[in-house]
Amino acid sequence: MTEESGGALVHLTVSEPLPLEVPAGDARAIMARASCPDGRDRTGMAIAVTAPDGRTATHVFALHADGVSETAAITLAAPPHLGVHVFRFTLSPHEIAGTHYAQAVLDVPVCVTPQATSLAVWDVPSPVVAGTRFVIKAGAKSTAGVALAGGAIEVCTETGDIAGRGVLSDAPLQDTGALYWTDIQLKAPRTEGMVTWSARFEASELNLPHDGANTSFSVAVVRPPEHVLSVRVIEQATAEPIPDVELRLGAYRGTTGASGLAEIALPKGRYELRLWKVGFEAPPRPVEIGADAFVEIEALVVPEEDPDARWRM
Amino acid sequence: MSKPTRASGKAEVNRRNFLARGAAAGVGVVAIAGTGAHEATAQNGNGSIKWDYAADVVVIGAGVAGLPAAITARDNGASVIIVDENFDIGGRGILSGGRVQVGGGHALQQKLGIKDTPDMLFNDWVRFDHSESRYADRDLIRVFADENVPTYDFLIENGVEFIEKPIRSPDASTVDRIFVTKEWHIPSQVYAPRRGRNGSGLVRRMEESARKKGVQIFLKHKMTSIVREKHNAGRVLGIVTIAGSNPVNIQARKGVIIATGGHTGNVNFRRIFDPRLTEEYQQACSPYVHQGADGELAAMDIGASLWSTANQTVDEAAQITKTRHIGCRWGYSSLVYEPDSPMFQQARATGLTVRDWQNMIFVNQNGKRFWDETDGSHGFFHAAMAYSGDKTKLNGGGPIWAIFDADAVTREKWKPEPPHVDRDGYFFSADTIPELAASIKNPYQKAPISGAALQETVNRYNGFVAAGADADFKKPTPLYKIEKPPFYAAWTTPILHDTLTGIRTNTDSQVIDIRGEVIPGLYCAGESQGGFAQHGLTRCIVFGRIAGRHAARRQIAETSGAR
Repeated sequence: MTEESGGALVHLTVSEPLPLEVPAGDARAIMARASCPDGRDRTGMAIAVTAPDGRTATHVFALHADGVSETAAITLAAPPHLGVHVFRFTLSPHEIAGTHYAQAVLDVPVCVTPQATSLAVWDVPSPVVAGTRFVIKAGAKSTAGVALAGGAIEVCTETGDIAGRGVLSDAPLQDTGALYWTDIQLKAPRTEGMVTWSARFEASELNLPHDGANTSFSVAVVRPPEHVLSVRVIEQATAEPIPDVELRLGAYRGTTGASGLAEIALPKGRYELRLWKVGFEAPPRPVEIGADAFVEIEALVVPEEDPDARWRM
Repeated sequence: MSKPTRASGKAEVNRRNFLARGAAAGVGVVAIAGTGAHEATAQNGNGSIKWDYAADVVVIGAGVAGLPAAITARDNGASVIIVDENFDIGGRGILSGGRVQVGGGHALQQKLGIKDTPDMLFNDWVRFDHSESRYADRDLIRVFADENVPTYDFLIENGVEFIEKPIRSPDASTVDRIFVTKEWHIPSQVYAPRRGRNGSGLVRRMEESARKKGVQIFLKHKMTSIVREKHNAGRVLGIVTIAGSNPVNIQARKGVIIATGGHTGNVNFRRIFDPRLTEEYQQACSPYVHQGADGELAAMDIGASLWSTANQTVDEAAQITKTRHIGCRWGYSSLVYEPDSPMFQQARATGLTVRDWQNMIFVNQNGKRFWDETDGSHGFFHAAMAYSGDKTKLNGGGPIWAIFDADAVTREKWKPEPPHVDRDGYFFSADTIPELAASIKNPYQKAPISGAALQETVNRYNGFVAAGADADFKKPTPLYKIEKPPFYAAWTTPILHDTLTGIRTNTDSQVIDIRGEVIPGLYCAGESQGGFAQHGLTRCIVFGRIAGRHAARRQIAETSGAR
């Protein structure tokens, strides 16, 4: 608060701690408050708020309680530039019940921060055969909802080499608010194992200041398949085939069809075959692949988790 | 058979006059009761009480314990008033599955060829090797066993109908004893129709019978205290209720029966038994009922003791459960309020019913995974309630959120929108995981979830899916990545269910005080009664009947000097 000579003091404050931190282009609502030692009511009086660009608007004190007069919410629109910007609140000299009050001024610093961006990476195939090409999808989103079309997402390997790059689409992904996306062509390493690659989005080209974004994704890189494992899953009690059973052998996967059969291509080696379907159980089974093979698994029916799970009909 | 009376005027007699008149008559309390209840007064800490109504027996709670208590009291010649704070009867029973664990060799068991006896029933429910029977009060179990067949007969006599097929139970029973009542035939009076809420048939039939027999039911009367002659001494005289903003005092000439349904909804009270159960844990059957521990508190105010408290924290029972319907505040496994339910406006969403827990991960209030999502054991609950590192919240684990993606929505065939989800604090969606974290705002989520932390959690889990093994929590065969936008966060904080401990009673359901003495005229039955951890309905009905019978006959007992 400042005051000029020639009158009693008026104390100006705002409803939020200062300085305000506001992302570029965003707005923040605060209330201005005025008080003086004799608790005068200033409802109906106006306070002027001068934005960093010099524009001034007035706001009326609407409430008075406990010796403090308060405006309704005043929206401060952060400029689209980083740094500290000052909004000046000015209450002109005025007189109440014969007492003259001096002009009061409060500078409200607004620290403008960058908007954030974030990433999503999806449709990552797994496993991927060593040395083969594959495609992923990646998208970027601005917290401000800014159109990111034309921006680029890069994928880097664990050693920091750029493995691929994609330019964001003109339109957001369906069912999203503003996720701009791209396909990215990649090539798997020549050796098998789990790799974790990073994706990054540089936001320096945007008109509104944004921070960039990073994320990561994992790919299981495997040897080329040599054999086919055929798995048939049947119900233990009835020998009926069970469709839609998810099968896993480490990174390898398959799903049974209507006949309860799935075929999974994989290289020689020892695996643990696991299955999952709600309402069925079967223990993991060790499998050694040295040639094409067939495995039949009998799964036990367990009642699906019912609403009254503590009881079974 | 005497009937409830309403005071014609609020004749006031102070305590001194009350005792003097009794002494002059030479018959003490009974003589005063016989002069007309409205003339009696009692002290309740703040001076004299003026009775607005009077009955021989006053039952607090029109649920699974209160209704049989009232009917049985009426059958034994008493006038009866039931009060209930709710706008309708039933308590939690109206929303239950209607599974009644009744055995001992009753007619339906005989018809179905199920061999059972009271002794077999007793032996099952005192088993040391089952959590629901281990800590039972065996005196209560003995009476419970002996009263099962009469309780079945009582239900049939009062119009309750059973589906003639037993349900196999994993509880302490070794023979089939769970029989399901038929759902009430008027959907709007079921509150969660078409969802197997067969308990509606149990309580509605008992309500029907109670009303026919002349039981008066005062709805929207909330009991605020139980009136005893002296604070911790003497007989119980009646209750104080609030109806709207009006106090309504009801004299009980013979007895007050607490049948208020338990304490699960009272955060302060439930933390007596488990300090972890802080405010974020909601309770099954809310918002229809809230189990506020009203009966326990009122009884303890006048000296009552708790009993068999070990039952509340056995790590196998249903005092806490996994949500099955996520993205809504109350997602208890068997309870869904559909949009046409009279309760839907309060419930706000049906929730998304989970078919396969592989379709999501659970994170705590810090955005970290904490357990295998496919597990629903007490190990899961302990992990969910573990200290999360939040120095401002040492007890309770905070909200638990299910995190999933668009592919999970497709697999589950969900529509992630109202009326299925409650977007006002219990369901969120966003284009990226960091934005999803930032979007989560809920009264129990005290600090925002870090976008970086949630992203790291999801990326790590996706790596486990790619590798085919969950290195952190051994989720069996982690199947699906969480990667396809948009992303979702749904409330899936474990939800509380059973009250498994409560007020101490003897085998007549008379409340016992902290010195081991009977509180004359005070009874307790149902989930507010301690000593028996059986999940479900039958212990409520059995001890409700016992309480009603003993209270109705009590006048004779008192004049002979007995309790």
